Amino acid sequence: MRAERDDLRDELLGRVAAELRRPVRLDPAVDARVLKVLLVPAPAPRRLPRWAIAAGSGAIAAGLALVTLLHDGGAGRRAVELRVHVPASSQVVVVGDFNDWDPAATPLRPARDGGVWTVELRLPPGRYRYTFLVDGRRWVPDPAEPRVADDDFGAPMSVLTVS
Amino acid sequence: MPLSPLSHSAPIGGLSISESDAALVARTLDGDLGAFGALMARYRDALGRYAFHMLGNREDAEEAVQDSFVRAHRALRDCRQPDRFGSWLFAILVNRCRTARRRLFRRRRFGEELHDDVPARGDAAAAVEWREEIGRALGRLRPHYREAFLLRYVEGLDYSEMARLTGVREPTLRMRVKRAGDRLRELLGEVHAG
Amino acid sequence: MRMLRLLALLAAAPSAALHPQDRRLADRLDPVTATSVQYLVDSARGLGLPTEALVQKALEGRTLGAGGERIRAAVGALLGQLGRARDALGPSASEPELTAAAGALRAGLPGEILQRLRALRSGRSLVVPISVLTDLVAEGMTPELATRSVLDLARDGRPDDDFVALRRRAQMQLRNGGREPGPPGRPPARPAADPPAGRALPNPPASHPADQAAEP
Repeated sequence: MRAERDDLRDELLGRVAAELRRPVRLDPAVDARVLKVLLVPAPAPRRLPRWAIAAGSGAIAAGLALVTLLHDGGAGRRAVELRVHVPASSQVVVVGDFNDWDPAATPLRPARDGGVWTVELRLPPGRYRYTFLVDGRRWVPDPAEPRVADDDFGAPMSVLTVS
Repeated sequence: MPLSPLSHSAPIGGLSISESDAALVARTLDGDLGAFGALMARYRDALGRYAFHMLGNREDAEEAVQDSFVRAHRALRDCRQPDRFGSWLFAILVNRCRTARRRLFRRRRFGEELHDDVPARGDAAAAVEWREEIGRALGRLRPHYREAFLLRYVEGLDYSEMARLTGVREPTLRMRVKRAGDRLRELLGEVHAG
Repeated sequence: MRMLRLLALLAAAPSAALHPQDRRLADRLDPVTATSVQYLVDSARGLGLPTEALVQKALEGRTLGAGGERIRAAVGALLGQLGRARDALGPSASEPELTAAAGALRAGLPGEILQRLRALRSGRSLVVPISVLTDLVAEGMTPELATRSVLDLARDGRPDDDFVALRRRAQMQLRNGGREPGPPGRPPARPAADPPAGRALPNPPASHPADQAAEP
């Protein structure tokens, strides 16, 4: 954040801003309501379970991929990019089955824009549990990916599948 | 998790694993509503945060966000820099919030509890109280002060970007931000003093 | 019952003493926990089960601040699930398949479903179909409907991408908060643009607003 004439470092206002930057999650059904408005006749889908076609959902896929593969990561691995936006944070790491759950192993890098953190993983096919640790004190799962049903240790957990 | 409305090349949405915004915009223009679904999933919460703080309640925030998405889809060919889709979308939302605000006949409760984060351990009650104080104070700001404050302090925009989004001159925006800050200090100071 | 099964598994396992301790366990866990987890790991190895998932489970517990007893319990439970997964998928199942299958069993899916998937997709990886099945159930779809949907695709010899597409569509419908999709094979009650009639779905479990962050 830039230092300009208004003092972004004002202690009280800084605390106010930090509070207001906390996540506000809307009902994901907002997306579905929008798509319902926009819905156009679906292109002839490939044969799918009939219930899926019945809802016209061939045209309203959630846009949530199991995982987006950037390119062949070599040696049977796939490259996967993770991104997270946490503007009020100073450190973001990912821990998961791919890095021995080591908070020091896979820090995310701040992107040019500021507030955006990214990391590229190269993973062999499989299913991986993971979660993010923000500023060493908050566990944050991926809202776009499935949550794991078994959170053995009480932290919210996501799972990604590499095929 | 919030996402920046102005991130250029992609992403976010909590955390997301992603195609670039530009690629998703291109697919949407080719008729792929699923791609637009991905853009919505990516930006929903960031837009929701601004709308919620601007309008003060979830219902109006969701309506504004929903309306913004519909308008964005219909005007997508006008988005000349698809890699800056988020910024373009956010400008639509800012306008929708202004319209929605004017439409509101009664002020609803500000500071409705919506945050999903778990507050710092042991501070839960104090955190909730602090959140409510801020919500009340924010609700007492004049709307254009609130808008300027949120864009500057919460969304982290610089004044040139704010001017582009709002159509308001930079000196005016600086003045609004300053007055919003002064007023918030005053209101929150009252709370702590009382 | 599961504990009995685990005990039976362990009783059948060869001695753990022949294998060196995993450095990661020794470095990151307290000695008592490291030793007991190592025993479970060695037992898995002796049974021809994947070991890496067990190590990861223990390290996960350590990073998340769990106590030794809780870590041992979680690793032991996973070992039991891996054993059941191998029973269902057969000895040729790959490590990623067994790990995915253990997750499915943990989610409450019966081993028979995994057997049927194996039979329908002989010679092809089951990682994605099993993962999609697990995700659908986690999102709130009834196990019966999720199973039918996934088995239909497997029966048709569909590629992994089609399973992923199924999950996308289902996720959208389930998060719509509307109605349960009709079962495969049932004609749609309405034209395509409307949600099909059916029982109301439960709210999606823990997949969106429940994205709470927790303390480490």
